[in-house]
Amino acid sequence: MRDKSLTHQGPRQDRSGAIWLIQAFSGLLLVALLLLHMVAHHFIVEGGLREFRQVVDYASHPAIFAITIIFLIVVTVHTVLGLRAILIDLRPSLAARRSIDWLLLAIGVAIIIYGIWLEFIIARL
Amino acid sequence: MQETQDLESRGPVRARRPLTAWFDVRRDRLGSWAFALNRLTALGLTLYLFIHMAVLYLLAQGESRWDSFILVVRSPLFLALDVVLIFGILFHGLNGIRVSLVGMGIGVRNHRRLFWILSAIGLVLLLVSAWLVFTI
Repeated sequence: MRDKSLTHQGPRQDRSGAIWLIQAFSGLLLVALLLLHMVAHHFIVEGGLREFRQVVDYASHPAIFAITIIFLIVVTVHTVLGLRAILIDLRPSLAARRSIDWLLLAIGVAIIIYGIWLEFIIARL
Repeated sequence: MQETQDLESRGPVRARRPLTAWFDVRRDRLGSWAFALNRLTALGLTLYLFIHMAVLYLLAQGESRWDSFILVVRSPLFLALDVVLIFGILFHGLNGIRVSLVGMGIGVRNHRRLFWILSAIGLVLLLVSAWLVFTI
């Protein structure tokens, strides 16, 4: 007879492995994006980007706009998965776990929508 | 990958008291501190992300709001907080690289040495960054 607990854990282990990989690769991608972000903001213009017009012009550049959107999505995915790992470690019930997943998904989508909306607003200034 | 998950967890102690076990360093002092600091910096950076996104809305509110905000963040207190932020980014990023590499089977046997090498790199970067924050 098959052990039910092992059968039950199988897909979850696969899923956690996939989540771990997404977390790891998004983290490595973030290191590169963050480095680019820091260099662009602090070293391209002498003294760093501070003046209102400088910041708006920088954010409105099509390439920067696209990179910022990618950065926003990657950082949100990494953050939401990281928060999920911390919350799951608190050993919630299965029902609470489902609620956590949906809540974090909603938060992640809301952050991405807000960020993209804000980028469009800033680009039009 | 399993080895990294083991690096990130500490078995029975963690299972009994998952939150307080973050700071339980009895079994593996280095791994435990790295684990606890990784999670604390993760929570700090998450908080910063929310604040950062809220603050960027000031840009959309016009030049005067932005300029007054810039004046505030150029104060020594905020510059010191910038250095704390950079510490969080460097620790979380470099420790994340270590965990990812070990998880992919790279440097598994030398993960402690890797930790100290990356810590040394992080310390140098932190000192250079702190100097730049207060001088640029």
